[in-house]
Amino acid sequence: MGRGEFFAFLGPNGAGKTTTIRILTTLLRPTSGRARVLGLDVTERPGEVRRRIGFAMQTVALEGLATGRENLELMGRLHRVPGPELRRRVDELLELMGLAAVAGKLAGTYSGGMRRRLDLATALVHRPDVLFLDEPTEGLDPQSRAALWQELARINREGTTMLLTTHYMEEADQLCPRLAIIDEGRIVVSGAPAELKRGIGADTVTIQLEAAEGEMATRQDAVARLLDGFSPLQGLERTDEGVRLAVVDAASTVPDLLRRLDGDGIGVRALTMQHPSLDDVFLRYTGRHIRDEAADRPLEIGW
Amino acid sequence: MLAFARETWYLGLRTLRRFLRVPANPISTVIFPLIQLVGFSQLFRDIIQLPGFAGQTSYLAYLAPGQIAFTVFLAVSWSGSNLLYDYRNGYLDKLRAAPIRRYSILAGELVPLGLECAAMAGVILLVSVALGASVATGFVGAVLILVLCAAFGVAWSGTSFLPALLTKNEQATGTLSILFFPLAFMSTAFVPVRLMPDWLQVLNAVNPISYVIEAARALMTTGYDWGAIGAAVVAIVAVGVVLQGATLLAFRRLTN
Repeated sequence: MGRGEFFAFLGPNGAGKTTTIRILTTLLRPTSGRARVLGLDVTERPGEVRRRIGFAMQTVALEGLATGRENLELMGRLHRVPGPELRRRVDELLELMGLAAVAGKLAGTYSGGMRRRLDLATALVHRPDVLFLDEPTEGLDPQSRAALWQELARINREGTTMLLTTHYMEEADQLCPRLAIIDEGRIVVSGAPAELKRGIGADTVTIQLEAAEGEMATRQDAVARLLDGFSPLQGLERTDEGVRLAVVDAASTVPDLLRRLDGDGIGVRALTMQHPSLDDVFLRYTGRHIRDEAADRPLEIGW
Repeated sequence: MLAFARETWYLGLRTLRRFLRVPANPISTVIFPLIQLVGFSQLFRDIIQLPGFAGQTSYLAYLAPGQIAFTVFLAVSWSGSNLLYDYRNGYLDKLRAAPIRRYSILAGELVPLGLECAAMAGVILLVSVALGASVATGFVGAVLILVLCAAFGVAWSGTSFLPALLTKNEQATGTLSILFFPLAFMSTAFVPVRLMPDWLQVLNAVNPISYVIEAARALMTTGYDWGAIGAAVVAIVAVGVVLQGATLLAFRRLTN
């Protein structure tokens, strides 16, 4: 990825997003291969990499018994930001993150959204060239999430290169001009979201069928028969309530499609059309839905 | 070296704040020694008439150095839990991704811990003096006692750091702290070695806390006994090399 970019790794839990980001932030040594950040090899020059990156982890890591300001000052000091500049920067970040009013309160008393914002601010104190964000909006309510998205977009506009991991499709879609879909430790496809979606070529038409108990299979067979030879149709999938169709240019071909279904006692209860989503892209390349399996975190057992 | 000191300073300030902002921390540390100091000095007031106490004028004066040293055990009994907490909630990773020496993280725990030990032992020392004990060597001697306490505390804290780092289990962090029972009660904190049965005398000879207590007692009741002070330093260094050496290796493994 290039300088100034806002790039996303999109994939289900357990796909290897966090592992990748932990290698890039020098926390994990790669078992094989090389990784470079800002042209610096992360295994050979971890110190330089650490000086120039910021990292907001999946779990918010703050000192609860220190105030918001103290949390920021500590990270700034450890990154060797000189005193007067640090004070300016901390004030600026507190203002930016809407935390100025609670700067003197212990971080342990903050709400979930405030903790997220403070955590993000601690990753920005030293003005990193690259910011790594591992699931930055995990566990936030929709409102806080939207607010944070705006924040992230602005930080990127101001020149910080950003790499984000997420399993929220909307997040990658909204924020990132380019993304990579990652599954089982491999990048399966990458590109601009719009391009990837265009690559799917078909919209999704979901039809709920009227069917008495036990009759659904017969109805679905009838639909399949009636649509046989309908040229815009690219795929048909049976669901519990009817069928899901992949149809090219659904908006203009659906009237035709409905005319074909008019007969054989087929009753359509509902019909919805959708342009391809990143989930469809994911499905195309991996054969699974992005939310199909949520890999459990490894359980840690002490003794 | 300067960078190491700088990082230790800032991380140490954080550790110190953590300790001071929870009043239960200092209170729970001093309460037990205070009770013993006040209670036992009255309960066993006349024990000094036993021949083994030759030369002692009050049991309070005999008891005080033991309680001062005893405070250190309590001050470090859960000392490994901060680091374990950081490991669990991701703060340790945050520090590791920062451009600092990783041993600054450990030093940022241990240096404030020494200060905490000195401060808590200092509270008991002040109370002892208020109750009538005295420090024969004056202010300098008192400072020396607290320095010995701080050093012993840092060395002994390996009994908490080591299980914390090896098991990553909160419960294990304080388990070894029960060692203070046999160590303190079979030391010379309560009775002189001459009053102990032979087998206890043998155990006492390898009990590190007894050396610290004897040095502190000399500084409080007689004067600068460099033999006793030297023995205490040797005992502290021996404990420190073994326990903190192992802690260092465990920390290294954890942060690799």
